[in-house]
Amino acid sequence: SGELYCSLPNPRNVHFESINMKNVLHWSAPEGTGDGVLYKVKYAVYGVGKWIRKPECRNINRTWCDLSSETSDYEEQYYASVKAFLNGTCSDWVETTRFNPLTDTKIDPPMVSVSSTDKSISIVLTAPEKWKRSPEEESIPLLQVYPGLEYNVSVLNKKTKKRWFFSIKNNTLVVPWLEPGTAYCVSAQIHITTPVLDSSFSKEHCIATLKDK
Amino acid sequence: LGACRVSLSMTEIRAGFTAIKANIQSRDPIRTLSILSHPQSLHKVKSPDRCCITHHLFTFYVDKVFKHCRTEDSFVNRKISSIANSFLSARRKLGQCHEQNNCACGEKSTEKIKQILENYEGLNVTSAAMKSLGELDILLDWMEKSR
Repeated sequence: SGELYCSLPNPRNVHFESINMKNVLHWSAPEGTGDGVLYKVKYAVYGVGKWIRKPECRNINRTWCDLSSETSDYEEQYYASVKAFLNGTCSDWVETTRFNPLTDTKIDPPMVSVSSTDKSISIVLTAPEKWKRSPEEESIPLLQVYPGLEYNVSVLNKKTKKRWFFSIKNNTLVVPWLEPGTAYCVSAQIHITTPVLDSSFSKEHCIATLKDK
Repeated sequence: LGACRVSLSMTEIRAGFTAIKANIQSRDPIRTLSILSHPQSLHKVKSPDRCCITHHLFTFYVDKVFKHCRTEDSFVNRKISSIANSFLSARRKLGQCHEQNNCACGEKSTEKIKQILENYEGLNVTSAAMKSLGELDILLDWMEKSR
């Protein structure tokens, strides 16, 4: 499209939203513009000379663009930029702040599975994987990305409302000396010590210990 | 850090840097150049003599970066001096260990340190110092990954 004189207001709030290193660029439409605004997106690796266009996000009318593939090397840092077009005019390029996939991502809670005997419950935690291009691609466990990854586990006795907290490094935990025939609810969180990244707590998984034999 | 064990409150330094990261990085308009990661990312330096690179990088930040990073914002200045103090004490301990343990520098590390100093000298002092400070998370990421 012929870019005449760039008098269109700029896209606003251009930023990355990242979960488990699935890195998606988001922005808001320019102030006062209705429908019909189109956008194009480019990105750059910090410290490297050139901007790179994202063809799949050229002349799009949505206000997000998935740059996970382009920003998958978490040992690099990135910028991204958006430009708006409407009726032959355009806005300026608007850039993100510097994006560090390692520190600027959010982590999902772990998956929790529980089993029980009469006096104990066993908990197995599974951390989410780093985002990957396709199911066939090799998975990268978050533990490999964050050597300091730990789990905080909460165990609640539903009858007495007594709650215990555990901090563990490996992903299994056996809680002994429990009451037979009692319901216990387990919830867990991923805690990365540095850089400080905490997931939210998972939803509760409840299980009853077996009745006394 | 290789032969030397130095206690360093990474969480505190991280928290301090995170608090001023956007402010500091917004003062660095040069996207196309990195001090620590040009031409090759610091992470790509898989060097056995990690303690040598760390010692030189601590010296680089203490002697050439922090002192040139004063801003008009007292909050930012306080965070910078807190980080600088952590680096100063870690460098002192690393220096003592350096002597006792012969923290040798291999060819690869020497080349990387030389490149960092060249990148730094290529800009005026204030720009170079601010850019280096804005790249502190690259150093912290590398140190944590290679713990």
